[in-house]
Amino acid sequence: MADDLTRIPGLDAAAPQPGTGAVVEMRGIRKSFGQNEVLRGVDLTIEAGQHVVIFGPSGSGKSTLLRTINLLEVPTAGSLKVLGREYAHGNEPGVPRGKPVELRRDVGMVFQQFNLFPHLTALENITMPLKRVAKVKGSEAEERAAHALRSVGLLRHAAHYPREMSGGQQQRVAIARALSMDPKVMLFDEPTSALDPELVGEVLSVMRKVAESGMTMVVVTHELGFAREVGDLSVFMEDGQIVESGPRGFFDNCQNPRTQKFISAVL
Amino acid sequence: MKIFAAYDWSLIWDYRSQLLDGLWVAIKVSIVALVLSVVVGLLLALMRMGKAPLTWIAAGYVNIFRGVPALVSVIWVYFGLSMLLGIQFSTFQAGVIALTLLYSAFIAEIYRAALTAIPKGQREAGLALGMNPVRVFLSVTLPQATKIAIPNIGSMFIGMVKDTSTFTVIGLTEVVRVTQNINSTYFQPFVLYTAAAALYVIVAFLIDFLFRGVEKVMESPPRGRIAQAITGRKRRRILALIERHQASPSA
Repeated sequence: MADDLTRIPGLDAAAPQPGTGAVVEMRGIRKSFGQNEVLRGVDLTIEAGQHVVIFGPSGSGKSTLLRTINLLEVPTAGSLKVLGREYAHGNEPGVPRGKPVELRRDVGMVFQQFNLFPHLTALENITMPLKRVAKVKGSEAEERAAHALRSVGLLRHAAHYPREMSGGQQQRVAIARALSMDPKVMLFDEPTSALDPELVGEVLSVMRKVAESGMTMVVVTHELGFAREVGDLSVFMEDGQIVESGPRGFFDNCQNPRTQKFISAVL
Repeated sequence: MKIFAAYDWSLIWDYRSQLLDGLWVAIKVSIVALVLSVVVGLLLALMRMGKAPLTWIAAGYVNIFRGVPALVSVIWVYFGLSMLLGIQFSTFQAGVIALTLLYSAFIAEIYRAALTAIPKGQREAGLALGMNPVRVFLSVTLPQATKIAIPNIGSMFIGMVKDTSTFTVIGLTEVVRVTQNINSTYFQPFVLYTAAAALYVIVAFLIDFLFRGVEKVMESPPRGRIAQAITGRKRRRILALIERHQASPSA
């Protein structure tokens, strides 16, 4: 019997709506690795339920920007507000900063290399964070995990280890794992770039399902076809800065010649 | 003129219980030393990979103790360190401490290599899921590092058992001491030391067998019939869970 408790927001239930107002607000974000300045003053606002797509050439800083949202990269300067709370240096001194651990309860991430835990089964990859971080009881964790796997079409593989699954299957488990933690925002860092072409479609299907549930998503991708279809806000980055961004229809209406050049080279 | 002394192989059977007792002492010392060495070694590896003064202290310890022979170590602990600290160690304790000082250094290097072999993304995935760094270490990093380290730790264990042979010099009643005692009465070195060697070889073989078994259980998925029998219950539980969910109608 499908219990409401076990429905996974983002997969088979509506995604959480974190109220009105911006979910993520980045102002003046700068990031340097030693002498190398990778992000050179980025401003980006993400609204609830919005699907943001970030694209651009390699080295443009798009992954670094994405990883700043859950503080896997700590900005050298600038303000990062997630759900109203400041987590970076901020432009207002004296404002208390939230801790990364708290931020990551509300922000889920899917990686290019999947990063499933190889010593755990597909099911355990999902139950372990539920038990250890969300403090969910064992039996309920298993029910939720089984449900999540079913929603991505991989219930049959619950007892399998990552090594026994294809890349596309692993990535779908990774998406289920992130969604099971009930995030308000989902980050996708080039989720299909490491996949064989014939496996890309199954992952994009799941991502489409997540988008349809109303989840706030930020996706760094080279799949511009998907971006055009799903993106509410498309952002083109180059050399550590946002060159141009725009709402739906951006891909056909972009103004900046650099953007046009990149898109025409890819699409 | 006798060309060959008569070989008295019956001595081995007659003194089998003393020889096996000696072997058991050697194994006990080694097991305790192994557990301590893994704990200390892991700590040293973490220190080495950490921040400023700790990393040098750990590196210094490792470089020093990797070069000390077991014989020197045990004499130093039993006669020297005990005088320094004012505590009289028993021969058993001195043996354990001597082995731990040496082998924690080796195991520190083994764990350091294992920990650096784990891809950065594993830790990032743990953090992204909201785990704090300690939880990431315990649930993500350490299990994977231990799996990589286990074969080498097994070799270290065999080395420990062999090194206990030098503890005869402080009077620990392990294999070599027992053999020396019997030999001083009967003077049959060939027979007796062949027996001693055989005991060590058998133990080495058994340890190797045991650690291979552990490696197989730790594989994902577990390999081999024994390993699968041990982990079978978990698998069956998950399969039952799958069945239940497949049976219920989709939401």
